[in-house]
Amino acid sequence: MAPKSDLLQGTLDLLILRTLSGDPMHGWGISQRIQQLSKDVLQVNQGSLYPALHRLEQQGLIEAEWGNSENNRQAKFYQLTRKGRQQLAEEQKNWERLAGAVARVLAGS
Amino acid sequence: MSPVIRHLTVRLGSLFRRERLEQELDAELRYHIDMLVEQNVAAGMSPAAARREALRVFGTVDGVKDDVRDKWLSRFVEVAVQDIRYGMRSLRRNPGFALVIIVTMALGIGANTAIFSVVNGVLLRPLPYKDGDKLVVLHQGQGDALGANDQGFSPKEMDDYRQSRSLSDVVEFHNMFFTLLGRAEPERVSTGVVSANYFDVLGVKPIHGRTFVASDDAPGAPAVLVLSNGYWERSFGGDPGIVGKVFRMNDRPHMVVGVLPPVPQYPLEVDVYMPSSACPFRSNPKAIEQRQFRLLTAFARVKPEVTQDKAQADLDITFKQLQRTYKDDYPQGDDFHAVAVPLKTDLTSNFTSTLWILLGTAGFVLLIVCASIANLLLARMVRREREISLRAALGATRARLLRQLLTESLLLAVSGGVLGLVLSALSLQLLVSFAARYTPRAQEIGIDLNVLFFTLGVSVLTGLVFGSIPAFARRFDVASALRDGGTVTQSGQKMRSALIVAQVSASFMLLIAAGLTLRSLVTVQGINPGIRTENLVSWRADMSFDKFPLTMSPPERRAKVAAYWTEYEQRLRAIPGVLEVGGGGTFPLNEIDPFPQRLVREGHPLPPGRQPPQIDVRFATSEYFKTLGQPIVNGRAFAPSDTLTAPGVAIVNQSAAKQFWPGEDPVGTRIAGNGPGQFRTIVGVVTDVRQQLDRPPKAEVYVPVAQTVNIGMTWVVHSRLPIDDATRQIKAVSHAHDSDLPVSSFRTLAEVRSEGLAPRRVIVSLIGVFGLLALIITATGIAGVIAFSVNQRTHEFGIRVALGAQRSRVLGLVLREGLVLVSIGLAIGLAGAYMLTKVVGAVVFEQQSTAGLTLLIGTHPTDAATYIGVATTLVLVAIAACLMPARRAATVNPMVALRAQ
Repeated sequence: MAPKSDLLQGTLDLLILRTLSGDPMHGWGISQRIQQLSKDVLQVNQGSLYPALHRLEQQGLIEAEWGNSENNRQAKFYQLTRKGRQQLAEEQKNWERLAGAVARVLAGS
Repeated sequence: MSPVIRHLTVRLGSLFRRERLEQELDAELRYHIDMLVEQNVAAGMSPAAARREALRVFGTVDGVKDDVRDKWLSRFVEVAVQDIRYGMRSLRRNPGFALVIIVTMALGIGANTAIFSVVNGVLLRPLPYKDGDKLVVLHQGQGDALGANDQGFSPKEMDDYRQSRSLSDVVEFHNMFFTLLGRAEPERVSTGVVSANYFDVLGVKPIHGRTFVASDDAPGAPAVLVLSNGYWERSFGGDPGIVGKVFRMNDRPHMVVGVLPPVPQYPLEVDVYMPSSACPFRSNPKAIEQRQFRLLTAFARVKPEVTQDKAQADLDITFKQLQRTYKDDYPQGDDFHAVAVPLKTDLTSNFTSTLWILLGTAGFVLLIVCASIANLLLARMVRREREISLRAALGATRARLLRQLLTESLLLAVSGGVLGLVLSALSLQLLVSFAARYTPRAQEIGIDLNVLFFTLGVSVLTGLVFGSIPAFARRFDVASALRDGGTVTQSGQKMRSALIVAQVSASFMLLIAAGLTLRSLVTVQGINPGIRTENLVSWRADMSFDKFPLTMSPPERRAKVAAYWTEYEQRLRAIPGVLEVGGGGTFPLNEIDPFPQRLVREGHPLPPGRQPPQIDVRFATSEYFKTLGQPIVNGRAFAPSDTLTAPGVAIVNQSAAKQFWPGEDPVGTRIAGNGPGQFRTIVGVVTDVRQQLDRPPKAEVYVPVAQTVNIGMTWVVHSRLPIDDATRQIKAVSHAHDSDLPVSSFRTLAEVRSEGLAPRRVIVSLIGVFGLLALIITATGIAGVIAFSVNQRTHEFGIRVALGAQRSRVLGLVLREGLVLVSIGLAIGLAGAYMLTKVVGAVVFEQQSTAGLTLLIGTHPTDAATYIGVATTLVLVAIAACLMPARRAATVNPMVALRAQ
């Protein structure tokens, strides 16, 4: 089990894992996808993205492989491991519970 | 590839594929930046502007890289390597400091490793036998049935206890000395006489030939021998062709059938083993018939799944049945009983408490070492204040600095530990020979994995303790440290004082232990054993069984044996320069177990159901008491006329007279003799002797050698000859008397006396060395702390002197600072020592156990002289330690001191 991280780091992990739940992607692609999906609200800072990717890789939640990118260049593609998939499901549930709780508190005030 | 392995390669990969990882990281980030550039170009920027913008957005590439590397496992190792390298560099800059710490540490670790290796080999390791935990030793006797109370078992009883439900096997052992003939010299061999399945029960397989089989034990079977590994190596050079060789022993040919592997032998190391049918005593029909012919030690294997308590309960049941069946042999109301003790406990019972005491004292030394090193590091921290503050100012986090400091401490601790391991390995041989006096398991002492783990664990723990005290005592207050320009704050001074107090109190307790045991040793050494020990040579002479075989009629054999020794005595007396010649079964101070017998006194009827009391029986020739210088206080000594044909006589010692004939004169009264209706008249009372220096004299009765049958005897000669001359002449005379008579163990009684105290001396030396170590380390610590404090106060002293303070006042000021700490330490130590002797003393020091060694004899655990002596020594040493820095303080040149500011 990964150590409990603070909300922000935990959130970034969740976003990365969610983004990788489909096809393998490289770092650039991940940052673009998050930005795109969040309609430019979430801009992932490279200074956080790459340490996070390497940490997740060391924890065995994702794995990396070198492959050819869409513009035919060598790029490092990340994809979820089985452990990563379980972690994603769990974190997603946690997040939804938390978000729901926050929403209820806000609605009640 | 399985996910686990893949995961592992990712993690470990960061350790070993460092270069490739760096390249990949570089490529990964470059790709990201290139994509940013492309995006910007697509948005309409010029390529140069697009790149500039991309790099601006991305941030510092090196910063990102560093953050990524932080996530790699290799990072941890890298930092550690870096810390170690940095630590080494800073220690190399100050080699004296490092050396002091490493040597101090090595002494502490060495002491603990050495003692632990003994504890490990003797107490912790499982017995090197198959399911050794299931092996028990049976004891039978009164009271605790152990030690001198243990009477052993008769062959009949062996069979009875085999019926006990919890025991799967009961095997016997007894030790005899026989003469082995057929080699160049007659050889006296220590022989283990055992059941045929003895080695099967222990699970020992021979390395050559075989061990015993059931048919070897049948009456009339050809006699066979199994050699112990040690004897085979020593006497036959490890010749595998020994199997099948035949030697003469006890008037019969004995064939060697096997050789044992080098396993430790319990209950004692012997040269050869023979099955019980081959032992002339054991196979004697009288021995087999008589229920009270108890000479055997019984080993048993407890059935699997049976607890120790259950085994004891079943043993009690068996004994109760014996008591019901044989009323004469086990009288009611006597607290005679049988106990089963695990073999592992039994072998070390008289050594365990001594060992724990030694380990405890070694632990104290380690505590003092810890405090001392912590103090040195604290002082050094103050000197490194600027360096550390600078590193903190440059961005090192507190955790990072702590890690660096702890790494340095661990480096010192592990170096000290390795050196300590070497020290203990060097002292191992000494410790083995020391332990061998207490337990047959001594041969198992060595440095094994347990010991290595212990040393590593203790070293690391010590390093963490002495490293974290200074590391946490400091607050890493960057701003103030830099502002003060590196002068000392008060921080750490209190901690240093507390450590000194702790060291002094621990040293005090250790020195009290050393002082008390030393005083006790001196007392014991001064004890008069009741015999003279000057110009006396003793030795053992054991005739061969061939000489007077048991096939002779008993009266004829008794007469021949008596005549044999009488002639031997006369030959010895004829040696020029020999003044007196005495012979007996054993000698005082010889540590040979006495031969206890029931004392039946004429005119002292016993209450019904009571067994007669036990008394130690010893044998003596007519000149025995004169030779040893034991005066006869009443009646007469034995005379040459007290022969087999003369009326039976005996002599009792003063203790026996007091105990069994209170208010009476025993001389002229009669006690029961060898057989029914036979009596011995007491003809004299002799002074008490201590059979062992540290045990009080016991009640004893002496019987003339000429009126008994002694196959082996100990002799002693009082002569004017130098010991070597005497020994040579005695050997020559013995050979002339009987060329098959082996004589051995030539020693002067002074040597015997000194050797008896050897274990006590070793323990006292060990505790003394530990105490001395503590004293030196503590003195160094005090000197260091006071010197440091003087250094810091140079400015203050300068002002004092400039304002007219007397030099002696300054000296007194510093001395007082040191002595206050020492006094507090002494007070705490006094309380601690008092409590320790209360707790430990109750268990160990005053216990009069039958087998164990009583550490304190003739010395009370709160002996005032020892306490005052130790306190005075500590104060004097402390003053000496303070004096050097104090003198420096007193001779401060105010001009220099003030200018230095």
